[in-house]
Amino acid sequence: MGIPKWKTKNLLGIESLSKIEIRKVLSLAKKLKHESPENQSYLAGKRIVNLFMEPSTRTRIAFELAAKTLHADVISIAEKSSSLTKGETLRDTALNIQALGADAIVLRHSSPGSPLLLSRIIDVPIINAGDGAHEHPSQALLDVYTLEEKIGPLDGKKITILGDILFSRVARSNFWALSKMGAKVTLAGPSTLVPKSFESMGAIVSHDLKESLADADAVMLLRIQHERQSSSHFPSLEEYTRIFGLNKYRSKWLKNDAVILHPGPINRGVEIDSELADSANSVILDQVTNGVAIRMAILCLCTLSYNK
Amino acid sequence: MKTICLTGGRIIDPSTESDEKRDLYFYDNKIISPKDAKNTEFIDVTGKIVFPGLVDLSCHINDLSGGNCENIFSMTRAAAAGGYSTVVLMPNLNPIPDNPATIQFINEQIKKDACINVKLTGCLTKGSNGKALAPLGSLKNAGVVAITDSPTSPQDNQIFCKAVEYASMFDLPVIDLPRDLSLSEEGNAHDGPIALKMGLGGYPRIAEELFVQRAISISRSLKTKVHLSSISSFGSVDLIKDAKNKGVMITADVSPQHLALTESKILNYDTNFKTTPPLREEVDRKFLIDGLMNGTIDCISSSHEPVKEYEKNVEYDLAPSGVTSLETALNISLQQLSKHPKFTWINLLKFMSLRPSEIIKVEGGGLGVGSIANIVIFDPLKKWKYCSKEGKSRAFNTPFNNSEFSGKVIQTYFKGKASQNIT
Repeated sequence: MGIPKWKTKNLLGIESLSKIEIRKVLSLAKKLKHESPENQSYLAGKRIVNLFMEPSTRTRIAFELAAKTLHADVISIAEKSSSLTKGETLRDTALNIQALGADAIVLRHSSPGSPLLLSRIIDVPIINAGDGAHEHPSQALLDVYTLEEKIGPLDGKKITILGDILFSRVARSNFWALSKMGAKVTLAGPSTLVPKSFESMGAIVSHDLKESLADADAVMLLRIQHERQSSSHFPSLEEYTRIFGLNKYRSKWLKNDAVILHPGPINRGVEIDSELADSANSVILDQVTNGVAIRMAILCLCTLSYNK
Repeated sequence: MKTICLTGGRIIDPSTESDEKRDLYFYDNKIISPKDAKNTEFIDVTGKIVFPGLVDLSCHINDLSGGNCENIFSMTRAAAAGGYSTVVLMPNLNPIPDNPATIQFINEQIKKDACINVKLTGCLTKGSNGKALAPLGSLKNAGVVAITDSPTSPQDNQIFCKAVEYASMFDLPVIDLPRDLSLSEEGNAHDGPIALKMGLGGYPRIAEELFVQRAISISRSLKTKVHLSSISSFGSVDLIKDAKNKGVMITADVSPQHLALTESKILNYDTNFKTTPPLREEVDRKFLIDGLMNGTIDCISSSHEPVKEYEKNVEYDLAPSGVTSLETALNISLQQLSKHPKFTWINLLKFMSLRPSEIIKVEGGGLGVGSIANIVIFDPLKKWKYCSKEGKSRAFNTPFNNSEFSGKVIQTYFKGKASQNIT
């Protein structure tokens, strides 16, 4: 199978991608998902370095599995085991990784813009696996993939992203991806976590749960990152659940066959009823599975388009 | 010693609001009357603009020793190249000037290395940590010209209020960089659409405006002066305008960076555009320019803040803010203000020389007979390109690298002595 051409060696975010480029990733992911693993040695001999400066379970494992399936050598570095704890800067760590012969770096970092910073300094492809509250492009791509798989083309579909939007890179990347695919995206949640200024990006902003869920084709729930916020953003998790938590009763406001997404980790009983998270409408585990295929596609496109 | 006569130039004196073609005589360190001139050396400055040396109210150098970055020596050479004859050093120094002994030590360094006037400010609170008043009277006796905790501001209203009241007893100016940290501590950019999109923590206008109002209320109730440093929000301009109309003794300055740039510049996470307060929106920029022109804002301060290259070359939220600006402040201000219908050179020099010298009560801002001979010669037609690595400053953190300008300072006289190698 041929790997299509990709205009840049990096994947820094969704905002700068065109619909055609998004489609290219999705199509390749679909092929890779259904191809026999024995034939997938596209990255044999390549070294992929996962540089994860923030805790991650799903994303890190999905990138590792994706690289291994493609027969690449994978090295995973976590902040605690790297020289960054000895005061080395991200720039120096990355220069060293490049000097050691990496073919691509997958970066998770708490600072927005850090993948862009690295891409200016080093030549090897940089894949953004989440930078602060800025972007999480691979998550958005796997969400679009899962949604298309479940509800078909997204053009004209109403999709609501509910929860902590302000601190969420998933929300931003998904907003860009879904709207580029033609969906009408509503960002919903408490006014302190979903400021009206998101309208400047072209989003519909709603602080009324019923209105935001009414006739939606899909709802994406985001975890309330209570460890990040001071108590000033909302009074308590209990109050959040009472006003904005998705439960069985409220899920009836959605379209009948609407799907429920969540990038994880889930706080059962906070943003979503436990029962609902395990219901037939939930596609949460499909997201995780598709995450591997999407990351395989990303690794192929970025790494193989790069010539040292 | 010879009298020097600058002949054929356009002499601008903001203190007398005069702008005329005439000769300017100075002998030793003073400007003299032509009739007192003896043994005169004539210097032809035809086509050039001659004005009093600039005065800066907000210069930072962080580390007195400079390390491999800015020190007093390089900073004052950069200032002279930019047309300054006096700069006021903010107290975020190492060592920190919150006691008379340290002030004496820093002043000795200044005496040794400075080629222009460097005036020192003292901390308003001990260690600038906002907890307890610094010994303001002793600091004044040790020679500080103002007190401030810039680039932070005491968060405790009681401390700030008492500091202003106590300092007024010594007629010691108080400078405040208005910032409510509870609203802006994680703020790395203006709290607007661009920071929201980029995922950067916001530093909202209200974080500044609440503290502008605090300074106004304190100044009004105590009937004493407070100077606000580096105003950035349009709401602050409104508040100051109203206060001045009511006779409150509040003064304010703005940086050239905020006159020239807006938040859109940070879209590439270029840390050279990271400033405190942050670059804001076009509406703010327009208000700041109008605020200068209608007298709401008194002066332009460089907010010179050198940062080592490797310190800036990090993640945006981890990078220190600051712009090295002494060498470009005059050109940037000229570029931004000269398009305004009310622009005159007299105005510009009020903003950059006369008003700042009045606010901290140092000599300068005029070219009258008997004034100190701090004089700048500016060639309005000279085109040049600013390359930070070729400049006098040892710091390169500028958003204006490779900018092309019309007009250049070609000589700065400090106390009658020409600075060397400016051009």
